[in-house]
Amino acid sequence: MPRQNKGRQKIEMKRITNESNLLVAFSKRYAGHFKKASELCTLCGVEMAIIIFSPTKKVFSFGHPYVQSVLDHFLEQSHPSRSRSRAYQLVQHYRNSNIQELNMHLTNLLGQLEAEKKTSEELKKIRNVRQEDCWWDAPLEILRVEELEILKDAILELKKNSERQVERLIGNRWLTLQQ
Amino acid sequence: MTRQKVKLAFITNDSARKATYKKRKKGLMKKVNELSTLCGIDACAIIYSPYEPQPEIWPNNIGVQHVIARFKRIPEMERSKNMLNQESFIRKQVTKTNEQLKKQMKENREKEMTEVMYQCLTGKGSIENLTLPDLKDLGELVDQTLKDISRRIESLKIASPNEAAAAAPPLPQAVVGGSSSSMVVDNVSGRDEMQRGTQTTQWFTDWMNNPSEQNLGLGPNRIWPHPFFPDC
Repeated sequence: MPRQNKGRQKIEMKRITNESNLLVAFSKRYAGHFKKASELCTLCGVEMAIIIFSPTKKVFSFGHPYVQSVLDHFLEQSHPSRSRSRAYQLVQHYRNSNIQELNMHLTNLLGQLEAEKKTSEELKKIRNVRQEDCWWDAPLEILRVEELEILKDAILELKKNSERQVERLIGNRWLTLQQ
Repeated sequence: MTRQKVKLAFITNDSARKATYKKRKKGLMKKVNELSTLCGIDACAIIYSPYEPQPEIWPNNIGVQHVIARFKRIPEMERSKNMLNQESFIRKQVTKTNEQLKKQMKENREKEMTEVMYQCLTGKGSIENLTLPDLKDLGELVDQTLKDISRRIESLKIASPNEAAAAAPPLPQAVVGGSSSSMVVDNVSGRDEMQRGTQTTQWFTDWMNNPSEQNLGLGPNRIWPHPFFPDC
């Protein structure tokens, strides 16, 4: 299969000259920064702030515990003793356990997604194996009219039978309820 | 460096945590640098670690002050629009992943149902063992497929009305000739594929292994000795 895109290419470290390439590069890259930043905070428990201005003058920021508190700290506008107050510590403790839960939830979802992707790959394999044997399991575009007609008749038959089966099952259920 | 799956939780081992911090902090700073250079934008990073009193920053003190000043000039509402902290960021990731998961599950369900449909058509699978929700999904797929086929037949008839009315052209040798498995799917290999796939849903595997005794009339002997394919 021919390559869909240029793939990973070594890129020169200077400002991208083509305006639209620049915008694409930005939109592809900037989200990854916050992902990395969030991971760093989770894994190592550090405080940080990142501010990014987009080429279209929008501003994106990420901060832990908060963008503003880190900036204040940096500009030495917050008194260090405030961060040791009981109330503050309790709030942070609550937030941290909340974050922990969220991360576990996220990890769980990512695991499920990976499993579904594996299933998808296997279903593709099964399909390919079968398509080698059956002419009728080809994409509709390559079948001829006569073949399509045959397929259509077969499927209509299947439809009839499955509708009958549904009625049968519903009927059975109704009977069981009666008892 | 080999790729390792890292657990998304605080690293309790002190030395491992310090090593990870050093590596990732360096990587993050590098990325911010790249982004700023490639796209010609303003950016800054401030990281406080328990290992030094002074924060690690990018690009430098003056650069950071400049970006912060520009940041503060932006009205508060505008600033907050795209401002994230750990909770809001991870929640966003959860939402996004959830959507991807739902989409993939739906796709897989459709693919499974397609298999079911073709298995039923060739008598290798039976309707008997399907539950009501399965039958409902199968019904939807069947309807959709019928629509697609009808549409395709129409467009072919429009394209070449004479050809469609003509008698069946000779079929490729592989289909008509000899082997009885040309029409009836010799599904041994397929089934092996199925059983090897531990990820595939259990019900589907069980269903595949229970072709019905009772032939609902869809077996190879019913449909496929079609006038066009008398040898099957």
